[in-house]
Amino acid sequence: MAKLDNKSFLVCCANGAGSSLMMKMTMQKMLKKQGINPGRIHHCAVSEAKSSASQFDVVFCARNFTGNFKEAEKKGTHVFGLRNIMSEQEMEKALREAGLLD
Amino acid sequence: MSTVLQTIVEKKHYKFIDSVDTWQEAVKLSTESLIADGSVAPDYYEQIVRCITKYGPYVVYDDYVAMPHSQENAEGVYQTGIGFMRVKEPVDFGCDEDGERKLAKLFFTIASCNPDQHIDNITQLMGIFQNTPLLHALAEANTPEDILAAEKAYPCVEE
Repeated sequence: MAKLDNKSFLVCCANGAGSSLMMKMTMQKMLKKQGINPGRIHHCAVSEAKSSASQFDVVFCARNFTGNFKEAEKKGTHVFGLRNIMSEQEMEKALREAGLLD
Repeated sequence: MSTVLQTIVEKKHYKFIDSVDTWQEAVKLSTESLIADGSVAPDYYEQIVRCITKYGPYVVYDDYVAMPHSQENAEGVYQTGIGFMRVKEPVDFGCDEDGERKLAKLFFTIASCNPDQHIDNITQLMGIFQNTPLLHALAEANTPEDILAAEKAYPCVEE
């Protein structure tokens, strides 16, 4: 079983309508290629994500938003800021460097 | 089913300009074609500008692409659609937090009030944003016919 199977993922952008949706689609493609079956992937606005982030295993956002998730990080959530929200490679690299992907 | 680029042409949701002084003005101009047919209210752009001012130029991606947008079910949105605008001279959105300067020549400004159609639009836009030859061709477009020709030359293929 892959390390990230059944893990929960949160992706967010300012409004939860545009970029976060793209991030979610990019993530779905990337996880599928890696043979990972995520528990769930939720996309939303930063304002919502800020309070719910700690309930997720992994959070992805555009890199300008990472500062919002300090609390969640303390509680063990992995938070990654992306330069290019449509880059599967960047997501994969971030997860790999954090030891979440083999 | 029309592609988003075909819909942009059919609905005349396009604009071609040479240059513009500020990114705020650029965002405003990119909504003009959506205002023209009543898709959005004349002040819709203000919400987008506020958002970018607050959060930084995260709506500007690689290859000079910008996707200005507000939230789902935003105020002043009456039709789901995309306002396309091509600017010859790159528009400066300033630097992001890592000091990378964000420049845009291609605007795909989002108006959304129908979730299903919006998701389809975003899915298609993602294909376009990852299709570099198409983006280069669109950056050179001067007419709606050029948009269609660019798409024909460099179609987005489903993975």
